[in-house]
Amino acid sequence: METSRPLQILRDIAAVTVVGIFMFPIFWWALTSIKPISAVFDKDRVNFFDFVPTFINYGVTLFGQSRSQLAIDQGIGMGVGGAEAYDSRQSIMESIIISLGTTVITMTIAVFAAYAISRMMFKGRNSYLNWVLGQRFMPPIAILVPLVTIYKTAGLRDTDNLYMGYFGLMMIYALMNLPIAVLLMKSFLDDVPKDVDEAAMIDGATRFQTFRKIVLPMVKGGIAASAVLVFIFSWTEFLLSLFLTTEIRTVPVKIQTFVTSTGNEWGFIAALGTAAIIPSFIFILLVQKNLVRGLTLGSLKE
Amino acid sequence: MPADSASHSPVEARATERRPWLPRWLSSEHPFPWLFPAAALMVVFGIYPLVYAITLSLYKRNAATRKMIFDPTHNWTKVLADERVWNAIYNTFVYTGVALFFQLTLGMLIALLLDSDRKGYGVLRAMMTLPLVIPPAVTGMMFLLMLNGSFGVLSRGLIALGIFPTGFSILGTANTAMAGVLTAEIWQWTPFMVLIMLAGLRSLPKEPFEAAAIDGATATQAFFKLTLPMMSKVIAIAVLIRGIDLFRAFDYVKVMTDSGPGTATETLTSYAGRIYFGSADFPYASTIALLTLIIVILASTTFMKIFKVKL
Repeated sequence: METSRPLQILRDIAAVTVVGIFMFPIFWWALTSIKPISAVFDKDRVNFFDFVPTFINYGVTLFGQSRSQLAIDQGIGMGVGGAEAYDSRQSIMESIIISLGTTVITMTIAVFAAYAISRMMFKGRNSYLNWVLGQRFMPPIAILVPLVTIYKTAGLRDTDNLYMGYFGLMMIYALMNLPIAVLLMKSFLDDVPKDVDEAAMIDGATRFQTFRKIVLPMVKGGIAASAVLVFIFSWTEFLLSLFLTTEIRTVPVKIQTFVTSTGNEWGFIAALGTAAIIPSFIFILLVQKNLVRGLTLGSLKE
Repeated sequence: MPADSASHSPVEARATERRPWLPRWLSSEHPFPWLFPAAALMVVFGIYPLVYAITLSLYKRNAATRKMIFDPTHNWTKVLADERVWNAIYNTFVYTGVALFFQLTLGMLIALLLDSDRKGYGVLRAMMTLPLVIPPAVTGMMFLLMLNGSFGVLSRGLIALGIFPTGFSILGTANTAMAGVLTAEIWQWTPFMVLIMLAGLRSLPKEPFEAAAIDGATATQAFFKLTLPMMSKVIAIAVLIRGIDLFRAFDYVKVMTDSGPGTATETLTSYAGRIYFGSADFPYASTIALLTLIIVILASTTFMKIFKVKL
């Protein structure tokens, strides 16, 4: 549709403003992470740029710097000590292990299931598909309470055995991500014509060989997109991690521990928060093209 | 390929020759080995805990002796009589409804605004996706900081505009706490709607719009008579997926208000969580969680029937 020039400029301004409003919290968050305490708690005015930037918040949370350094730098003596409580390197490692592990487990299981759903005719195909989809409707809280008891009996708690704790959390994350992974992979596999499989099998390949050598390389992009989404959902998960593990603290749970009875450590919270969202930002830009398909479980394509 | 002819195909014969000792249902020609891992995961970590939860809800927990007594009606009658449950149901519906309304309307408007091939709009669209990947628990903290009564930037802005008195705590006041939590929810997930609406807008055929323009239809008429009806399937899918997630709202509530002040922002999920952590009455917590599941299933199947959506 043709639009007049002034109207177009008005639209440009509106678009930039709206996106700007949506970007503001992220900007404010990043800004808070480099503010000294006095600027965060400025009660007289909203302090935008009138401060000397400091990276001590990153130093303490990401590099294990001593917190007393912070007190010396800023000439205040409040709440010195408990430095290791804010050192989040351990949590970041745990989050990475959990998210990567979950992604590998989920994608392996999901690709196989999706291939069969996409390629084979069998009784109960629709029921199976609905079962997977139904999983997406289930609020995690519904299974959470018994899950804690089950994990206790089965020795899957991190307080009993750290490795089993990792395994337990990864498996429940895998369950939560299974619907999106299966349905998304099914949608990508449906895009590959069935003639490809049939040609390979007429040439003497088994189903598995066809899958591994012919079909799998053709949906590499789809696997990458699904894997990124599974990774992000595991990275951002909060409820299950909060209930199921105590030793293992993923980043979203770790940040909550910075809320203390003596006040919230906003500098540390903002620093760790900023650090936690950067990897996701990079990932999401990589899968921009398949994002809609992913978020709608493969039912809408862009 | 029809199922019954499969066993006679030459492909089949060759595959069985390869590993004659393998039963047919374990060969890769049979769907079983492909489907088994996912099914096992869903049974062990999904169905089993669900059955366990149902069993648990049929027991009464004695707080003093910590003994479980079989009493199938105890928790379910307690749920229906519990005023906090009704309050939580009400809050959950308000939360879901208000958030859906704003996310849908804003999502559609912003999508229309950003749907342009002009230079720079691609970047704007990419930027709009960023809020989606922030951990909701971190978003909650973000808004907790910005809504702080004494030094939060958003609060200060609203106070400067004269909407709230000085030092007013949005999250600490029962009447406004829900609105505060919803701000975070709406901020984070409006981009979800924007993305889906954009995809929908971009897949619309051009011809009806050209025809409408020739017939002298205004942009508003074209939107209500053409765009909206043609987008109905897309909108329905977006509402369904978002609605399911909204109904189990937990992260923002837990982080920003911890269901408070009092029970002003208590949702079904957060109430179940509170019982779990607070009184350790696991059977009752399970019952409330199951109630959430029942409502989600009823609401979503009704929605899918009425609007004929299929995921």
